[in-house]
Amino acid sequence: MNKYQLRVETGVMSFWKRYKGKPLGMIGLIIVIIYVFIAIFAPFLTPYSPKQILLADRIAAPLWFRYVIPKYNNAPQTVTIGFDSPLYEIKDMPVSHIIEYNYSAPKTFSLTFDCWVNAPFHSEAGFECLIKTPEGREYSLWGKSYSSDSDKQVVRIDSRDLGLKQRLGLTIFEDPASKIFSSRGDYSLIFRPNPGFGDTSTRLYISNVKLHIPGLVHGILGTDHMGSDLWTQLVYGTRISLVIGLSAAVISVAVGTAIGIICGYLGGVIDEFIMRAVDVFLAIPVLPILIILGAILGKSIWNIVILVSAFAWMNTARLVRSQTLSLRERIFIEAAKASGGSDIYIMSTHILPNVLPLVFASMVLLIPTAILTEASLSFLGFGDPRVATWGRMLHNARGFGAFTTLAWWWLVPPGLAITFLSLAFVFIGNTINEIFNPKYRERL
Amino acid sequence: MVYSRYLLKRLIYALMVLFIIITFNFIIFRLIPGDATKMIIDPKFTSEAKAELKREFGLHEPTHVQYIKYVGNMIKFDLGISFSTGRFVINELKERLPNTMVLFLTSFVLTVVIGISIGVYTASKQGTFSDGFVTGAGLFTYAVPAFWIQLLLLMLFGYYIPILPVHGTISAPQPYGLFLQILDRVHHLILPAGSNVIVGFGSWALYTRNTMLEALDQDYIVTAKAKGLKENIILRHHALRSVLPPIITLVFGALPGVVSGAVITETIFSWHGVGKYLTDAIMMQDYPAAQGAFYLIALAVVVCNFAADIIYGFVDPRIRIGEGGKE
Amino acid sequence: MALLEVKDLKVYYKTLRGCVKAVDSVSLNIEKGRALGIAGESGCGKTSMAMAILRLLPVNGKVYGGLVMLDGVDILSMDDEEFRESVRWKRISMISQGAMNALNPVHTVGEQIIEAILTHEDVTRSEAVRRGNDLLEMVGIHPGRSKDYPHEFSGGMKQRIVIAMALSCNPDIVIADEPTTALDVMVQSQILKAIGDLRNALDLSLMLITHDLSIIAQTCDDIAVMYGGKIIEYGSVVNVYGNPKHPYSIGLLKSFPNIKAEKAPIISMPGSPPDLLSPPAGCKFHPRCPLAKGICLEKEPELAKVHPDNHRVACHNTDMLKKGTDIWNQ
Repeated sequence: MNKYQLRVETGVMSFWKRYKGKPLGMIGLIIVIIYVFIAIFAPFLTPYSPKQILLADRIAAPLWFRYVIPKYNNAPQTVTIGFDSPLYEIKDMPVSHIIEYNYSAPKTFSLTFDCWVNAPFHSEAGFECLIKTPEGREYSLWGKSYSSDSDKQVVRIDSRDLGLKQRLGLTIFEDPASKIFSSRGDYSLIFRPNPGFGDTSTRLYISNVKLHIPGLVHGILGTDHMGSDLWTQLVYGTRISLVIGLSAAVISVAVGTAIGIICGYLGGVIDEFIMRAVDVFLAIPVLPILIILGAILGKSIWNIVILVSAFAWMNTARLVRSQTLSLRERIFIEAAKASGGSDIYIMSTHILPNVLPLVFASMVLLIPTAILTEASLSFLGFGDPRVATWGRMLHNARGFGAFTTLAWWWLVPPGLAITFLSLAFVFIGNTINEIFNPKYRERL
Repeated sequence: MVYSRYLLKRLIYALMVLFIIITFNFIIFRLIPGDATKMIIDPKFTSEAKAELKREFGLHEPTHVQYIKYVGNMIKFDLGISFSTGRFVINELKERLPNTMVLFLTSFVLTVVIGISIGVYTASKQGTFSDGFVTGAGLFTYAVPAFWIQLLLLMLFGYYIPILPVHGTISAPQPYGLFLQILDRVHHLILPAGSNVIVGFGSWALYTRNTMLEALDQDYIVTAKAKGLKENIILRHHALRSVLPPIITLVFGALPGVVSGAVITETIFSWHGVGKYLTDAIMMQDYPAAQGAFYLIALAVVVCNFAADIIYGFVDPRIRIGEGGKE
Repeated sequence: MALLEVKDLKVYYKTLRGCVKAVDSVSLNIEKGRALGIAGESGCGKTSMAMAILRLLPVNGKVYGGLVMLDGVDILSMDDEEFRESVRWKRISMISQGAMNALNPVHTVGEQIIEAILTHEDVTRSEAVRRGNDLLEMVGIHPGRSKDYPHEFSGGMKQRIVIAMALSCNPDIVIADEPTTALDVMVQSQILKAIGDLRNALDLSLMLITHDLSIIAQTCDDIAVMYGGKIIEYGSVVNVYGNPKHPYSIGLLKSFPNIKAEKAPIISMPGSPPDLLSPPAGCKFHPRCPLAKGICLEKEPELAKVHPDNHRVACHNTDMLKKGTDIWNQ
């Protein structure tokens, strides 16, 4: 076995030496490594999780547009101010907090806080929540009076509430956010006790205040229709694509090679039967079948992997089979048979190693197909809705408004991600072909 | 004659495939977890109605009896009633089939013709630009997601520079007058068909070019040149002609893939065709419609493959006349 | 004036590993009606020379010098179109190595024979068809078979069809490159006889390229022996076969058993043909030559006349040879 090992090792080393010399192959390899890196270290590349929503306004543009595209020069970034401690006790002085807002007007905002009342003597006390603009105008967002104890109440104010609009004296079409935050400067968020509050022994407690002004720009790639960060989705998407691509490739190669060798070598009824079946399956349009099977078996990501692999092995099997057929006639096989080698022995030690180079290349070239198939399925909406894949990003883009908002930054990156990964594997596959199979060498 | 024997073999094969598809259709839609009758009877009906329909549809009968009836129905094109519209599925399909044919044929024919022409043209010009272009185009077709390019083109020409319609096969309401109506249809066809061509021509061009280059290396090409034949006669009459059989096989072998692409294209451009019908039906869980659409699509593919066999056998004299030297 | 004159022809191939001098300054003549055999091992440049004459070199091959004159006209510098129309097939035609591949499998043989006629001559189609049938008959194939496809014929028949094809435009010269290599001996003799008969009937000139000396003896008037891209011996068949002067020719002739002579061991020349990427200095044959001496390693010998009748040899040692000396068995 030592002689074998040495031969295999030099085989691998010499392959790598030749591979290193091919520029396209190296580029492909580097790209794949980058993607793998991104997939593994995804949590470090983005502070958000793909499931987080409302990070900014829906379909927000990327942050760096501010510096590059004039239209976005002062577009607001998400401003989130939260202070849950200290606990504010309101007696007779208002409590206020400064908010710096230096952008153009936002589209919405929301304010939440907890408040509860301690009113031992049942005297009436109330307070108001307002925002004061840098010019001094005050907008009263909320107000309430209490005469008895109350439990902790969570107050939610959203600029889209009709009630708020009414309170501010706006029509239902007007937008409080842009009205209130129309200028730049220091705003104040004020909790002001009503006059006469101090005379009572009522105590009002406020905590967990959060002011959220979703920005119109966010992140490296902006947000989708739910306010979820697109860069995060892109980064986490690498995981699925790589997993699907590799699983499909591995399964198809393992199954396809085994079946190909068996059919090619043993021939006869098994060969006829399996090859006819393969011919039939190759004659059926893949996507419609996948859609139907996916719909019936459930939209889980693993189903997709299995389905994609199930169709991928057939071409490999065919290729391997024809290679096996020609190998079978070679003299060394006769010799092995004459010396008493069993079929399994011959297939595994003689045929398999000769078939592997061919298989290797076609396996790598299979990966883009698998990735593209998954992307197509997800794009049509038949993928797993819980998993962020590039195909699904495109599905969302199409279905939830990227077109009407001309949000090309939503449309372009996922496609580019798919393209570059596929290209990388194509380069690698072609390079392997060049090295192992001189027939496929590029023409001068 | 050997040719007729060959045709018979291919015909039997085609029928076998068809049979398997029908069987598959039968089985798969009964595999849906839950009440199997969901396939045939709209679950929204009351249970009495369901019971009666059950008897009417023969669902109470043993499976193999149902199967035989099902095969019969499929052959007769009795494809049931759509859940969502209540109309006969076959009628809905009949309405949509011409649209799909138009889109499909236009895209496919243009792609293949343009691709092959470019391939033939660049085979004789082994300069670096045309080489790089064709190789790049081939790569483009293989690695770039087609639907993504279509989306980009849609955004570009439908929204950014709104010169092309973004959905539908025709405008609603249609313009007045036959000429304008035809123009309207063509206008709607540009984006779907055009995008297909842009995405697809590359691999045809590359494959044709490579096969031509291989053919041009053959001895009989050198002989043809030595005979003093004109360059383009050599290209077309000799090289291309001997390269046609594998290309034709490829053309028809690509059909299943093109069908898949058509499904996506129709969905993106809201094209009123069979592909979109299929995806909509599945989305809405309208199973009779989905079955019918799938059956039609698969049938079309089988027919196309058989047509391919016919043409291939005709074009390659070795099959048409048969092997065996006569001394 | 000779019909075909080749003067100092140089053909080089540019490869990834360097420049290969396939034909290194070759000169020869063919008179009208005469047959010249070009003999040599594989890779000595014979086919390259033929391809150069017909201007059919592959992309990386080029004529780097020399002239090829047909009836006094330099055909290498002719315009492409003119060459194609007036010289190819009309004046010089070719029978290539391996007829199996010279015929396009998807066209009938009849078609392939007459397409050259139709290209070069202004005749009606029926006239061309008639001539095609005549040609088939001439090579012994029933004219009714002109509608059959190449794969329906045997190897020998295909070769005969290729011969018929080569004669379709009544050329002045036919270049036959290994016309019988792929055939068995019986068919080979048939083909050679056919070529011989046709030559006599049509007063054809012939350039026959082969490694098989016996064929040249059977069909040709003159012979040129090539080695390493150069002609090393040139003369009439009678002179060269009877009195070979170059060590290589001697070795070649001795490696064919003579059925009429006494039993004698067949010799083989040690070594192998030179690597044309980096050929040896001086005479290219010197590494294998038993007579090699100092000057052979430095200076390439010129083709010089050693005998009247135009028998020429390129060797520094011609004076050392007396008829009958067995230089290879020392």
